[in-house]
Amino acid sequence: MSALGTAGAAPAATIHPDAAAIDPPVGAHQRRIGLLFGATGLTLFLLMALLGLAMRLTQSDAIGISDEWFYRLMTLHASGMLAGVLLAMMGGLWYVVRAIVPRLDAGRAMAAYAAIVVGVVLVLVAVVFGGFAAGWTFLYPLPFESAGMWPTWSTVLFLIGMGLVGVGFTIYCIDTLKSVTETWGGLSGALGLAWLRGRVDAPPPPQAIAATAVSLQGIIAGAVGMTILVALLDHTIDDTITLDPLWAKNLTYFFGHTIANLIIYLAAGMIYVLVPLYAGRQWKTSKPLVIGWLGTIAFVLTAYGHHLYMDFVQPGAFQVVGLVASSAAALPVAVVTIYTAMMLVWGSRYRWTLTSILIFLGFAGWAIGGAGAVIDSAIPVNFHFHNTLWVPAHFHNYLMMGVGLWVMALVSYLLERASGRTASRLVTIAAPSLMVVGGYGLVYAWYFSGALGVPRRWAGHPDGTEVWSLVGSLFAVVFLIGFLTMVVEFVRMGREAWAGRGEAPAREPLPAGASVEAPAAPGGGFRPMVGTYWGLVVAVAMGVAALFVFYPPVNEASEVSVKFHHLAHAVQFFAGAMLGAAAGSAPAALRRFPGRVNGGLAVALIAPVAMLLVMIPLIYQDLTGNDFLHAAYHLVMVLLGFVTGLAAALLGRVAGWAVLLTSVAMALMFAPGVTGG
Amino acid sequence: MDLSFGGFQVAVLIGFLVISGCLVAIFSAVAVKSRRNVDFAEVTDTGYRLRRFWLAFLGVLLGTGLVLSIAFMPYGEGAGPTTRVKVSGYQFNWTVSPDSVPAGTLVDFDVTSSDVNHGLGLYDPGGVLIGNVQAMPEYHNQLSLRLDEPGTYTFSCLEYCGLDHHRMIRQFEVTP
Repeated sequence: MSALGTAGAAPAATIHPDAAAIDPPVGAHQRRIGLLFGATGLTLFLLMALLGLAMRLTQSDAIGISDEWFYRLMTLHASGMLAGVLLAMMGGLWYVVRAIVPRLDAGRAMAAYAAIVVGVVLVLVAVVFGGFAAGWTFLYPLPFESAGMWPTWSTVLFLIGMGLVGVGFTIYCIDTLKSVTETWGGLSGALGLAWLRGRVDAPPPPQAIAATAVSLQGIIAGAVGMTILVALLDHTIDDTITLDPLWAKNLTYFFGHTIANLIIYLAAGMIYVLVPLYAGRQWKTSKPLVIGWLGTIAFVLTAYGHHLYMDFVQPGAFQVVGLVASSAAALPVAVVTIYTAMMLVWGSRYRWTLTSILIFLGFAGWAIGGAGAVIDSAIPVNFHFHNTLWVPAHFHNYLMMGVGLWVMALVSYLLERASGRTASRLVTIAAPSLMVVGGYGLVYAWYFSGALGVPRRWAGHPDGTEVWSLVGSLFAVVFLIGFLTMVVEFVRMGREAWAGRGEAPAREPLPAGASVEAPAAPGGGFRPMVGTYWGLVVAVAMGVAALFVFYPPVNEASEVSVKFHHLAHAVQFFAGAMLGAAAGSAPAALRRFPGRVNGGLAVALIAPVAMLLVMIPLIYQDLTGNDFLHAAYHLVMVLLGFVTGLAAALLGRVAGWAVLLTSVAMALMFAPGVTGG
Repeated sequence: MDLSFGGFQVAVLIGFLVISGCLVAIFSAVAVKSRRNVDFAEVTDTGYRLRRFWLAFLGVLLGTGLVLSIAFMPYGEGAGPTTRVKVSGYQFNWTVSPDSVPAGTLVDFDVTSSDVNHGLGLYDPGGVLIGNVQAMPEYHNQLSLRLDEPGTYTFSCLEYCGLDHHRMIRQFEVTP
């Protein structure tokens, strides 16, 4: 057994002396997967940071990357960095949740990992060999209007790559939602609502609540992302299809912003476990924490609207919702999470190691960057700062100096445990110091440039402003020196862990009379999506009622426009989905397919995508002349809904409904945005 | 294009610097106090009491921001007679009609795009960014701005639109 797989090696030197009783048990899979996700994320972070430096030096005129390559690197930098940091924090949360939710599946975690890594490789090929440079935002119709910069195949490759990143995250979220809610007796139990309402005696631990909230939002964001990505792929297959640009922009930013935002909340779940190990105090679930996470679900899902403030045609209500959500999202963070962390640290004889320093500094990055974000989310401010360098300033502030430091903290923590020692004193002091000086120098150069009105995403900056880029570049170099100093130490610690494999000390003995606190998990296990006969009746009735869409007058009415026709497809899919959910939830079916989660997951992901992919006028317009083929095509919609329902039923009540409802939502969202043919 | 800091931007920047300075002071204080040994019950006792004030303070701060944001949203039409200026973005320039107006005119910019998404950033003769609006195909965004200062204004693209995005600059005259 390798040291990295040794269960529970937690030498007293690396954590707080009082933390032994709250130190979670660690399994071999758990540590290996945590390290794999963390190390891959950290590697991507380094590579993408180097691209970022090259871009900054170009803007300062210090080096001369061509405009074409600048925008390619810009596309790769953002896509790769987001995927890398997402991957690392998925691993971090998985690592801490697995300790209390053993049913979290290592195989599905690896499937998510593989999908994201392959997705990043496809994006890399699209950019480097295909010249794709439409930005990570791929705002329609730019991917198809390259002005000669890139061919269509690179657009397709990029879209598939981004889709795989979304699929990987969705797999992770579905398995997390399923596992955590089955451990705490349903969604209400896993979010702490059952405890809040006095229905159970003990709440779930904070990391379980975070995992539930994030995975629920992740499934929604993934569905929105797949809708826009498949719509764009449909356009490449049939260029008579047109997308509504405002619709496309809404979906793209919902997907991108929400996933970028969720990275921080994934990290928060991890931090709930790591901070106590260095403070020697347990992070307990409180009523404000439960309420805060409920607020976070609502605010994160609606805050994306601030990306469209300068789209004056966006409905005013959307603008106000985006404004309120963007401000309100700060409350749970500032009043619950960061505030509680500071209470845990205050007067705790905090065990300052490289890991715990990075964790602490990450809170500062989140808070300061968050302040910059909230300021920019005020619409009159955004009117003067939109798409200036203020934007990369605040998101680098909380992603690089917040979550980025937590990615490093995750790897550092795992290596501390594996090697049985902390980083050297020199590295512990020098690396964070250099990264703080360099990182904040870089982002404050951006803040000042943003206030000056320097646009973001410009290959060449306005005359006289290059000096800000030069200053930022120099600070970025300082950051990288600190980062690389730390990476060298990580390599040393990794080698020591490898050399000492099999000799790692056993779990630190607990103090007399103490025991590792077991999480209060009322359990519940698998519950069918539709658990009662009345429920089955209602589901079947809804499915049958939806089949009314085939009634000739209704069918004919749906032919008046492509939008209505697609809406009819959505209703057909819904009919099949409800009938499938009912059939899949029947006791006989559940006895026939017990525990076929992987199959259910695969079908539940593929069928809705297939439904959107065949919704191309090129395919169905020739069928309209033949009644039989036309009816058969619509029955395919019902069939795809049916298999989605069947597959969702295998995922159990909470995850199954989350997948099924978002699949139906994909069909409904598609209808108003895609026309042509 | 020569840029300069506007008064509003400087005020925002100073506000942010003050907030970030306060946050640094708070985190530094916690870091310093972390070395002490304080009973956690004592910490939570004081902490939970202070948290109510912290919540109230943030609530007032963010609430004030929301009220001001809604009061000063740039979406409304200006009062009085306006001159309509049609602006359309394309890869990689702007068409503007008319391309000049007299100083003091309340201009109703009608902004769209003939290809991809662009972003119209308006810089005054001093190089201060005075406003922003997206240029989107199939949609027309209406922005009302009173242009009092005569001189050469600059339209820059602030939404990434392809290879020559950063060269998508056009001038607009406001005559005395």
